[in-house]
Amino acid sequence: MKEIVRGAIIILFISGILLSINMKLNEGGGSGNKNTITVYNWGEYIDPDLLMQFEEETGFKVIYETFDSNEGMMGKIEQGGTSYDISMPSEYMIEMMKEKDLLIPLDYSKIPNVKHIDPYFLNLPFDSGNEYSLPYFWGTVGIAFNPTLLEGQTFESWDNLWDPSLKQQVILVDSARETIGMGLNSLHYSLNSTNLDELREATDKLNKLKPNVKAIIGDEVTQLMVNGEASIALTWSGQAADMMYENEDIDYIVPEEGSNLWFDNMVIPRTASNIEGAHAFINFMLDPEVAAQNADYVGYSTPNLSALDFMDAEVIEDERFYPDEETRNHLEVYRNLGLEMLGHYNELFLEFKMNRK
Amino acid sequence: MVKLNKLPKIYLAIVFLILYAPIFYLIYYSFNSGGGMSNFESFTLEHYAAVFEDKRLIIILINTVVVALLSALISTAIGVLGALAIMFTRNKSMRKAVLSLNNILIVSPDVIIGASFLILFTMIGIKLGFISVLISHIAFSIPIVVIMVLPKLQEMSPSLIDAAVDLGASKRDVLTRVIIPFIKPGIFAGFFLALTYSLDDFAVTFFVTGNGFSTLSVEIYSMARAGITLTINALSGLIFIITVALVIGYYAISRKTKSVLVGVRK
Repeated sequence: MKEIVRGAIIILFISGILLSINMKLNEGGGSGNKNTITVYNWGEYIDPDLLMQFEEETGFKVIYETFDSNEGMMGKIEQGGTSYDISMPSEYMIEMMKEKDLLIPLDYSKIPNVKHIDPYFLNLPFDSGNEYSLPYFWGTVGIAFNPTLLEGQTFESWDNLWDPSLKQQVILVDSARETIGMGLNSLHYSLNSTNLDELREATDKLNKLKPNVKAIIGDEVTQLMVNGEASIALTWSGQAADMMYENEDIDYIVPEEGSNLWFDNMVIPRTASNIEGAHAFINFMLDPEVAAQNADYVGYSTPNLSALDFMDAEVIEDERFYPDEETRNHLEVYRNLGLEMLGHYNELFLEFKMNRK
Repeated sequence: MVKLNKLPKIYLAIVFLILYAPIFYLIYYSFNSGGGMSNFESFTLEHYAAVFEDKRLIIILINTVVVALLSALISTAIGVLGALAIMFTRNKSMRKAVLSLNNILIVSPDVIIGASFLILFTMIGIKLGFISVLISHIAFSIPIVVIMVLPKLQEMSPSLIDAAVDLGASKRDVLTRVIIPFIKPGIFAGFFLALTYSLDDFAVTFFVTGNGFSTLSVEIYSMARAGITLTINALSGLIFIITVALVIGYYAISRKTKSVLVGVRK
């Protein structure tokens, strides 16, 4: 009995010490405070030095938290209990959050830096007039491939994936919108198609891809490509950039028929307690030098036109990540199609997956 | 006969190899000066340095450890009382009912536990953060402790208690000098299991973190989108070493307990 009591006391003692160390490290923390802002962002999606710079410049203290999925993020914001001042949802999620009345309109008098954003990325259908959101990073969906493992195969067109020589080589992403979208794209239909005949046609076409499909997986694809265990993958430009960073052989292309243009955006959720600080943060992140440094660190494409002046010429001239006008005109942003339509997409995707066996 | 003896050993070796290979692989690359896990360039400790330089990561690490220690401690206390209560409930069907309720909590999915805690906390107005994470960790650890302690109690012969009472022990003496020393291994096992449960829980914790308070599992999950950096490898290496130390500590304690058990008299 004595030992148990002694053990318990030791544990309490250790916890006490650790807690006080944490308090020291965390000094001034605690939210709800007028001088702190809580940022809720994807993991590894900001240069930590910039947070410190922001604290020094504006005097606001940043509490930084991370999430790993749009859906999880919205769940926590919807439920409340914590006061997030800034969040970074993807475009389709903004439409859903708008519908649920989870966002606060932006006050542009407090965001003068908005003038630096490329107009091409503003006023898009998911948030027309940018009433609630401003773009943070953007990218495309395309094909990552490793030419050293292929015999001169190129991918100007989605149809190249259907080439019989690519037996058992193509990895698809386990996501209905992207995969069905590839089918739609290859038939020159809209990515937001709600026409069931078009969707049927796209699925039928995908079914013909069956012999070439090696796997349908998620984030694990990065490692497979890097290790040279896979040669072709349907993927997002950001993920492709990660692959290329670790394996120089890998290349990325957006096929000419067009593809998806995706966004992560800064928004102020309803739960915000420091709206002043939230605007200051958005304005800070849109500063050209800050945006350039952040894009450098994260490796995704920035929508900030003036920031390009501060970046490596090699990076911004890379058309794989900063595509030219011509390619951009073929890109399409996802709309929120509603639960029923999404159900159709999921059903067709499931059918395609089951058919594979 | 000799051949037959070797077979289980080889089997065991293979099982352990499969279990430990990924961990050692991870640790091996934490010393890699190259950026990734694809090829080993040269030995470096920079990733370990990066762990200690990242203040946020350190805060999160300490959070994780404190929550694990405290929740394991509190849930062990409650769990032992619960096991005693279940054991000494006279009404058979009542005992069965409580035990089944306990087991249902063990098998119910974490996501559901997490979501319901989130709803509960926001409903009664507890701010998400340290307290909410601690409470939910205590909650899902208690059933585990009960399950670990109960077999020990059942193993104990009732005549031990009878003898103690005959010799004039008070109820309190029976508890502290007879029952608790006997079930001590179960208590320690429950404590350490609760500790590891708390350390690696993601699903429940994700829902109840907030206001700047986060734990390692939540943090690592959200990092995964941008690719896991070698800093995480280094961190995993450190945690692995801490865990090994804990296990060795556990064995040291439980061996001591055994020798104490022989001489209950003192």
